[in-house]
Amino acid sequence: MHMSHRRIAALFGAVAVLAAACGGGASPTPAASAPASAGASTAPSQAAECIVGVSWNNFQQPRWAATDQPNIKKTVEAGGGKYIDADANLSSEQQLTDVNNLINQGAKVLILLAQDQNAILPAVQAAKDHNIPVIAYDRLIEDPSVLYITFNNVGVGKAEAEALLKKVPKGNYVIIKGDPGDPNASTFLPEGFKQAGLLDKIQSGDITVLNSTGTNWPQDYGTYTDAWDTSKAQQNMEAIIDKARADGKTIDAILAENDSTALGVVAAETAKGHPFVPLSGQDGDPANLNNVALGKQYVDVWKNSNELGKAAGQAALALCQGTAMADITIDIDPSVAPTEGNKPIDFQTPGGKTVKAFILQPTPITAENLDKVISAGWYATKDDICKGVTASDPGAKACGL
Amino acid sequence: MTHLADAAKAPPTAEQSPLASLRRLVAATEIDLRLFGMLVALAVILLAFNVLSGGKFLRPVNMVTLAVQATTVAILATGMVLVIVSRNIDLSVGSLTGFVAMSYALLMTDWLPRVVGLGPDFPFRWAVALAIGIAIGAGFGALQGFIIAYGRVPSFVVTLGGLLSIRGAVWYLSNGAAVTGLDPTFQLLGGGPRGSIGGELTWLVGIAACLGLVFLLVNGRRQRRRFGFPVRPMWAEVLIAVVGCLIVLGLAAFANMNYLPPALASEYARQHGIPEPPGGLLIPMGLPYPIVILIGVTIVMTWIARRRRFGRYVYAYGGNPEAAELGGINTRWTIMKTFILMGILASLAAAVAVGRLNAATLDVGESYELYVIAAAVVGGTSFAGGIGTIPGAVLGAFVMQSLAYGLAFLGVNSPGQNVAAGIVLVLAVAFDSWNRRRGT
Repeated sequence: MHMSHRRIAALFGAVAVLAAACGGGASPTPAASAPASAGASTAPSQAAECIVGVSWNNFQQPRWAATDQPNIKKTVEAGGGKYIDADANLSSEQQLTDVNNLINQGAKVLILLAQDQNAILPAVQAAKDHNIPVIAYDRLIEDPSVLYITFNNVGVGKAEAEALLKKVPKGNYVIIKGDPGDPNASTFLPEGFKQAGLLDKIQSGDITVLNSTGTNWPQDYGTYTDAWDTSKAQQNMEAIIDKARADGKTIDAILAENDSTALGVVAAETAKGHPFVPLSGQDGDPANLNNVALGKQYVDVWKNSNELGKAAGQAALALCQGTAMADITIDIDPSVAPTEGNKPIDFQTPGGKTVKAFILQPTPITAENLDKVISAGWYATKDDICKGVTASDPGAKACGL
Repeated sequence: MTHLADAAKAPPTAEQSPLASLRRLVAATEIDLRLFGMLVALAVILLAFNVLSGGKFLRPVNMVTLAVQATTVAILATGMVLVIVSRNIDLSVGSLTGFVAMSYALLMTDWLPRVVGLGPDFPFRWAVALAIGIAIGAGFGALQGFIIAYGRVPSFVVTLGGLLSIRGAVWYLSNGAAVTGLDPTFQLLGGGPRGSIGGELTWLVGIAACLGLVFLLVNGRRQRRRFGFPVRPMWAEVLIAVVGCLIVLGLAAFANMNYLPPALASEYARQHGIPEPPGGLLIPMGLPYPIVILIGVTIVMTWIARRRRFGRYVYAYGGNPEAAELGGINTRWTIMKTFILMGILASLAAAVAVGRLNAATLDVGESYELYVIAAAVVGGTSFAGGIGTIPGAVLGAFVMQSLAYGLAFLGVNSPGQNVAAGIVLVLAVAFDSWNRRRGT
C-alpha cells in the first residue's frame, strides 16, 4: 500500500516531467536497464519465442525488486520465455514510452503495473494494435481487454477484522484508517471489515467503536491518517488513548488498516504506557513483522507477492501460446490461490466494465504462522523479523528460540 | 517564563492616550502585548475544547501529550524565526528532519555496530549518534546556507531543491523500509513513561525558573539604572515576579499531576518492594525529556536572538539589508549561520521524532516545513523581515498543535483538522496585521 510515499512520488513525477520538458535527454532512461536486444527480435528464429515485457511504475518500494520481479522472471524463463522490463520512475509519461519500447523489442505479452489506471490507456491501445495481450498487474486498468491479477483488497480488510474479532469478540475497538483520499482506506478495507461481521457486532452492541462520530457505516467510524503517515497516526492514537482514559474506558483492540499506521499505533501505546492490545495491519513490512514477533502487533495481513509474480508469469506464458484468457489456469500456493479456483473470474470494475481476473487471497500472519513469511523468501529477512525477540516473546518459536 | 524575561528587556512602550486601567497596568509591567494576546488565545482554545469535551480535556496527562506533540515543530520554529526575520525561507526543514532521523536509526542499528564496533553494550551509543546527526544537520544547513548567501541563489529555490532531493535521499538510506530497534537511551529523548525527569527534578526546574526570573528582573533593573533608562514601578516588578513564579511553579505542579500509568507503577512497586496502596501507586512523571529539550532550545535561541551579536545582526539585516551591509555587518556569513542553526535544530527535532516513534520511517518530517512556517507566522513573525520572536513562534506551535490535538480528542477527522488549522493561520495573521496597522 505505502500511500505515504505518494507525495514524494508526485514530487519526483513533477521533476521528471520538468526534466523531460526542459531538455528531453535530461530525463532518466530506465529502459536502458532492459536487455538492449531490440534488433535481435526481428530475426525469424525468434519469432516463436515468448518475450514477456514488464513495465514497472517504480522500484521505490523494496517489494517489487525483491519479490515480484524475480518471480515473474524465473517463471517466464523456466517456461522457455524471455523476460524484458523497464522502470518508469513514477512517471505516467515515461511509462507510455517504456511500453512502446517493450513492444518494439518484440514483446508478445505485456505485464503492466500502471502508474495511473487511466493514463496507461494509450499504452493498452498500442498493445491492442499489435495484438499483444495485456496483464494488469496488482493495479487495475480500466479496459475490458486486460487480464487483472491482484490481491483481494476487500479480502485484506476482511482478514484483518476476522483475526481481531476472533481474538477479541467483544469490547471496545479503535479503527485507524489511512488517507481519506484513498478508496482503499475509505471504502474497500471497511467493506472487508463489514464482511468479517464487524458491523453486525457493532449493531448488536458486542463491540463499541470508541472513535466514532455517528452510526453511518463506514464514514462515521474510525480516524483517518493523512498520507498514511506514521507520525500522524501516532498523534491521533495518543489523543484517542487520552480520551479513552478520560472517559474511563479501556481499549481492547485496534483495527489499523495498514502497517505504517500500525507502527504509529505501537509508538503511541509505547509513549502513553498503554498495554499492547491486539492490533492489525497489512503489507508485511519488516518493522511490523518484527512487532508481530515481539507481541506488539497481533496480525499482519500479508500479500505474498512471490505467488502473485508466479501467477502473472504463468498467465503470460499461456497467453503467449495463444490460450484464450478465459481458459488460462494458474498453479500457485493453495493458501494464496483464488477461492474461485484456478480459472479467471469475471470481475466488475468500479468503472462498470467486466474484465477477466485472478483475485488472490491474502494471508493473515500472526506469531503462530510467522515462519511462513520467513521461509517464503520475503524481502523482510529473518534477521529483520526476529530483531530483539527473546524466548518469552510470541515469535520465539518462529525465530528458533 | 521566558516571555516575561523578554518583556523585561523590551524597550518601554510609550502610552500617550488615556486607556483603561487594565491596559495601563499591563503597560506598566511592559508585558509584550502580542505575546500576551497569544497566551490568551491559547487559553481560550484550550478552555473551548474543555467545554466541548465535557470537562475532560484540561487534564495534566492530556496537556503533556499535547506539549510533547508540539515539540518537534516548536523546536524547528525557533530557527525558522531567524530565517524568516532575515528575509529568507527554509522549505527543506521537514526533509532534513527526515534525513537525520533515518541517519540516527541507521547509525544505531547498523553503521555504528557494524563499522565502528559500537554495539548495544556501549553506553554512549546514543550520544555518538546524536553528535553525528547534529553534524549531518549542520552540514546540510551549511551547504544550503552557502549557496544562498555566497551563491546568491534565492533561499526559496535552494531549499525547494533541498525539500525534493533530501527527501529522495532518505529513501536511498534505507531502501524504503522503516528502521526500528533503536538504542533504549535514545528512545528517552522522545519522552514516554520512562522518558520523563520525574517529580523532584520537575520541582527543581520550576524553582530554578522562578529564581532565574527574579534574577533577570533584578539584573534588568540594575542595568537600566546604570544606563539611565526608565525603570518599572516597584509594584510592577513585584507583580511580575509573583505572577511569573506562580505560573512556573503551577506548571511544575500541573506536570507532576501526570502519573505513571498503572501497569508501570505496579511494576515499579514490585521492583522496589513498595506496598501498593488501594488506589494504585501514584508516581509523578513530571516533565518529559522532549519538553525539557524544548525549554532549553527556547532559552538558548532567545539568548542568541536577543543577546548575541549574531542575533542582533539577523534582526538588523532583516529590518534593512542595505543599511546592515553598509554598517559593516558580514551579512553573508550571518545568513549562512542562520541556516547552519536551522540544520542543527532539525537534528534535535529529528531526535525527538525518532525517539517518539522508536523508529525512523520514510515519512518522518513530512510537511513539517508547512507546520513550522505556520507556527512562526502565527507567532508573529513577519515575512517582510526584521520582526519575530522565538517565544512567539513556540507559542504559535502550541496554538496550532492544540487545535490538531483538541480536534482529534473530540474525534474530528483529519480533513476537519486541516480546515481549522488553515482558518486559524489566516485569522491569526490577519489579526496581527490589523493590530500592527492600528498601532502605528
